[in-house]
Amino acid sequence: MPASSSKSFALSLDTWAVILALALALAVRFDIFKKIPW
Amino acid sequence: MAASIALPRVKQQNTPLTFVRLIPGILLLAAVGYAGKFLEHFLNTYAKSHHWTFPNIEYVLWAILIGLTISNLLTVPEIFQPGIATYEFWLKTGIVLLGSRFVLADVLKLGGISLALVVVEISLSLLLMHGLGRAFNLTPKLTSLLAVGSSICGVSAIIAAKGAIDADDEDSTFAIAAILALGALALFTFPLIGHSLHLSDTVFGLWAGLGVDNTAEATATGAIYSDAAGKVAVLAKTARNAMIGFVVLAYAIYWAKRGQASTVGNKAAFLWNKFPKFVLGFLLMSLLVSFHTFSKDQITSLANLSRWAFLLTFAGVGLRTNFRQMSKQGLRPFVVGALGEVLIAALTFGLVLGANRIWGL
Repeated sequence: MPASSSKSFALSLDTWAVILALALALAVRFDIFKKIPW
Repeated sequence: MAASIALPRVKQQNTPLTFVRLIPGILLLAAVGYAGKFLEHFLNTYAKSHHWTFPNIEYVLWAILIGLTISNLLTVPEIFQPGIATYEFWLKTGIVLLGSRFVLADVLKLGGISLALVVVEISLSLLLMHGLGRAFNLTPKLTSLLAVGSSICGVSAIIAAKGAIDADDEDSTFAIAAILALGALALFTFPLIGHSLHLSDTVFGLWAGLGVDNTAEATATGAIYSDAAGKVAVLAKTARNAMIGFVVLAYAIYWAKRGQASTVGNKAAFLWNKFPKFVLGFLLMSLLVSFHTFSKDQITSLANLSRWAFLLTFAGVGLRTNFRQMSKQGLRPFVVGALGEVLIAALTFGLVLGANRIWGL
C-alpha cells in the first residue's frame, strides 16, 4: 500500500481513492451526473 | 527484481506530466474492460437469436482473459505500464462507491459475521503458513511475508509488512509472485467449485472474500460467480483488510525484539498509517445511504459508477499477470503458497459452511 513518502501533504493512494469516490458521490447527489448507465 | 512482476504502485510525482503518463495505460484498461463487457453482451445476444444454449460468461471473466492474453502472448509497451498500475486505485474507488449498495444494518450483520470468521481465519492461516515455511526451509522473513499475504490481503499486506520487518526485496518479490499466481488460479477454480456445489451467492461471496488473498482477485472471483456474490466478497474482504495494521504491527514488534527490524515508536500512529483508508470511505458511503442522502436513482448511478471502476480493475488484473515472469521467481515459495492456499481455501470453506448453519446466511 503506497503511503506518502515524505512528511509533506502528499496523500496515499487509498486517500485519493476515497476523495475521488466522495467527489463522484457529491456530483451524483447534486445532479451534476444525472444518470450513470451500465 | 520487484519491478519484473509489475508491483501495483504508482510513483507520486507532483507534476502534470505524471497524469499525462497515466493516460495510455488507463485507456488500455478501459478498452480491455469494455471489450469484455461487449463480448458478454454480443455472445448472449447472438446465442439467443440463434437459439443456442451458451453459458453466460460474465464480462469480468472476459476482461481478465483478454488482459491475460495480451500480457502473456504480446509484449505490453512500457508507455502503458504506469496507467495499468492504477488498477488498484480504481479498485479502491469502486469499493468506496460500492458502500452505497449496503445499508449500515447489512454491513453490521454481514460485516460482523465476516469479522468473526476473519479472526479465526487469520489465526489458523498464520499458524499453517509458518508450519509450511519451516517444513520447506524457507527463510523466516519470507515465511512471515507469505503468512501475512495469505492470511490478510495479499500484495498490499506484503508491501506493508516488508517495510515494517525490514525484509529483503527478493523475499517480498517471491511472496508477491506466489500470491499473485495463486490469486489468478483462484479466479477460475473457486467459481467452478461454487457452481458444482450449488452454493448460494452469500456463501460463495463470503468464501471468496475470506479465501482469495488479493483484494482485486477476491472481488473478481465473487463477481465472476454473480453480482450479488461479488458484493458480499467485497464486504468480507474489506473486513479482512481492516485487520492489516494489527497483524503487521505484531510482526514488526516480533522482528524488532529479535533485533532484525526497526523498533515501532508510536503504535497508534503505526496502526493509522497501515490502516486501509478506503475501509472508512466504504463505511461512510454506507452511512450516507442509511440516512437517505441519495434517491433510489442516485444509488443506482453510484452502483454503476462502482461497476465502471471495477471494470478497469478487472482489466488490470489480467494485464499485470505474466505467468512467465512469475515462474522465474522460483518454485519453493510457490509450492509453499499453493499448499497453504489449498488448505486455507478448505479451511475458510468449512468456516463459511459452519457460519451458514449457525446464522442461516
